[in-house]
Amino acid sequence: MKYRYLLYILSLAILTACEPKIDEFSPSKGSADFTTYLAFGNSLTAGYADNALYSGGQENSYPNILANQFKTVGMQGDFKQPLMPTNNGVGVELISTGLFFHTKYILGYATDCLGQQSLAPVFADPDASQSDLQTQLFTSVADQGPFNNIGVAGLKSYEAISPICQFNPYYARFKSPDANFVLEEIPKINPTFFTLWLGANDVLRYATAGGAGDSITSMPLFSSSMDAIITSLTQYGTKGAIANVPHITSIPFFNTIPYNAIVLTDQGLVDALNLGYVPYNAFMEAMGMEYRINFQLGANPMVIADPTIPLPDSLAMLKIRQIKNTELVLLSIPQDSIKCAYWGSQIPVPDQFTLSESEIAAISNAIDNYNIKIKDLASLHPVALVDMNTYLNEFKSGMVFDGINFNVKFIEGGLFSLDGVHLNHRGYALIANYFIKDINRTFNANIPQVNITDYPGVQFP
Amino acid sequence: MRKFIYIMLLFAIATWSAHAGGYQVRLQGQKQTGIGLIGTPFNFGASSMFYNPGALSMMKNKYDFSLGASFIMGKAVFQKDATDYQAKTDNPIGTPFYFYGAGKITDKLAVGLGVYTPFGTSTKWDDDWAGQMLIQNISLQAIYYQLTASYQINEKIGIGAGFVYATGKVKLNKALPYNNSEVNLEGNTSNIGFNVGIYFKPNDKFSFGIDYRSKIIMKMEDGDATFTVPSALSSNLPKDNKFDAELPMPANLDFGLAFNVNEKLTLAAEVNWVMWSTYDSLIFTFKESGDLLNTANPREYKDSWIIRIGGQYKLNDKLTFRAGGYYDPTPTNEKYFNPETISLNTTGLTLGLSYQPIENLSIDLSYLHLFGQEAEKAYEPDNFSGKYKTQVSIPGIGISYSF
Repeated sequence: MKYRYLLYILSLAILTACEPKIDEFSPSKGSADFTTYLAFGNSLTAGYADNALYSGGQENSYPNILANQFKTVGMQGDFKQPLMPTNNGVGVELISTGLFFHTKYILGYATDCLGQQSLAPVFADPDASQSDLQTQLFTSVADQGPFNNIGVAGLKSYEAISPICQFNPYYARFKSPDANFVLEEIPKINPTFFTLWLGANDVLRYATAGGAGDSITSMPLFSSSMDAIITSLTQYGTKGAIANVPHITSIPFFNTIPYNAIVLTDQGLVDALNLGYVPYNAFMEAMGMEYRINFQLGANPMVIADPTIPLPDSLAMLKIRQIKNTELVLLSIPQDSIKCAYWGSQIPVPDQFTLSESEIAAISNAIDNYNIKIKDLASLHPVALVDMNTYLNEFKSGMVFDGINFNVKFIEGGLFSLDGVHLNHRGYALIANYFIKDINRTFNANIPQVNITDYPGVQFP
Repeated sequence: MRKFIYIMLLFAIATWSAHAGGYQVRLQGQKQTGIGLIGTPFNFGASSMFYNPGALSMMKNKYDFSLGASFIMGKAVFQKDATDYQAKTDNPIGTPFYFYGAGKITDKLAVGLGVYTPFGTSTKWDDDWAGQMLIQNISLQAIYYQLTASYQINEKIGIGAGFVYATGKVKLNKALPYNNSEVNLEGNTSNIGFNVGIYFKPNDKFSFGIDYRSKIIMKMEDGDATFTVPSALSSNLPKDNKFDAELPMPANLDFGLAFNVNEKLTLAAEVNWVMWSTYDSLIFTFKESGDLLNTANPREYKDSWIIRIGGQYKLNDKLTFRAGGYYDPTPTNEKYFNPETISLNTTGLTLGLSYQPIENLSIDLSYLHLFGQEAEKAYEPDNFSGKYKTQVSIPGIGISYSF
């Protein structure tokens, strides 16, 4: 009988095992009003990733992540995004024959001209028909609007206030019938809080064209455009957050192909190449110019076209030189051409695939000036400044969040998506957290950040 | 009775856990557990082998056996920094156990064998929790087998020493930052150590004890590392790998004092110096892909001092009540607080009861409740921080029989 008594005591002890409790996070909106949130920006805002706009990317756009968090501090209703109809999405490039449509990239295996298979971005559906993709992109979803996320892929600052943006299919597909440009979408939502992250394309489109096409938006044009946009966004005293422009030349798109990708292992080939450039070197010497082309065993700088070499157009074939280690080769370069078609050794790499020192300096200079302007705007208006340039710059030397390492390397760096320009889902979650941090600080709010591990990184096959 | 032993042994097969003082668990005797986990100044029979082998020679009967187990039901809660995210552990019930058998060869010399489990932890977080890259679940268990000799120099002083053969087993899982990727590490090892103690009872009022247990380093060699990664990464991260690692079981130096207020009431105090500073880092060395996988993970523990008080009241020949309490400051470093070992500054409260149906048999019950103080901690190398809090209930049962 006594033993049963003991059993009771034991059971009682087990039942009293209580749960530890920590006070829950208490969200607060501070001095801002998050009732209706509008996101204004470019592809980064739209959730563009993996070289396409696709529904999964849009669902993980930083504005959508922010909207979920804003719900804890009074956001009402749905955060509407102009979702693409498929998760493969659509990307579009202008090529010599017109527009080329494609799905998003996934990580897969590609076989190069030497028959070697390697891990590489490949189209999720390489057989998708051009007309289907075109229909997906060109079908208007305006009747599902108005939209809270009016980020438009490819948008430059001045395009947001000009009817020219109607030619951008990513805007055209959700454009309200009575709006002429993106700015005119703002009153459809009448936000109480906004985020604005614009300006990257004002240099990026020039940069991704290797400085050979497009142009950097001039400072006066950038300034007046941004003034118009912020004036419209804040006209009722609306509060928001404005992010500045990251130094885009640090992204994988410009840092994956090494400048010295011409690896020679055969002395005979080295000698042959050097023999071939004897006339070039002699010519340059005769001209009193310092350009020389010289190969040796091992890794060699590519030979590139440089239209800025001061020679008459009739000597265009001599406007070539070896690339410097401070200059950048673009991810868009057809790598098979290097491996199998003598690009960079016998044939100069076309200008559109490289950024020269002076082009890099022009880009860098423009970004610095844009960011001065953005800082001014932030001081003149009731907005939080999100110093995205500084934040993203920190990733160059590597960052870690919750045990996940990030850096700016292509694919393995964990931050960028497979196009080497836009972030992956996890990267966008980090962006959302930076916004939240600065919104909290500026408006004395307490909005919860998100868990980075809840968002997927690059998916390996 | 039989049923109890049966249940106890059943539980002993499971792993066990603790949330105090690193991964040390001092539940090696139910009488001692009831009195604030104080054992050094007492002669509680065979279980003295662990607490103070010097006291073993003072045992009253020729033979003494003791067997018991505790049931650790611990929960930890985590609130991630700057988020509204909370996570709770779902730990299995931990069951540290002990068995001691001792006999007197002569009036002055006693020998004994003990099997007990002074170190271990078992923590289970959800696989997809925010700290998944640091740890998903871990179970660590050391079993000590101790041969002991104790000699009574005179009626007042006993000395003793034990030779310890320890086996260790570790199993842990953590996620890797790729899609559907994780690593499982598993290994066994063994090593040797010792303990020594002096027991001094100058008169009927006082007794003192000093005990030292040596550090034992559990060196894991050729443990199994199993990687689950996408096929594209399998050439860099081969599925089956081997690893080496080592984990110290720190030395303890204990000082205890007991005072018999009267025939019924005894009060006691003890301090334990736990030499955790030996746990500097956890280094994993892999046989393959070492340049990619090898890690040195800082822990930088510091020594801790545990202060204990307790008392026992002998109501009659059949019933004895015990109570106690202690403060066990965490040995962890607040910059290197890894959720694999959720050790916080902890207050422990204990209750104990012995029932002696006959003179030679004692059924011992104990209950220990641990309150881990809420604290903000970070594991800086992984930039993972938040608040932790723990609460642990540990009922225990044992029997001892002497003749």
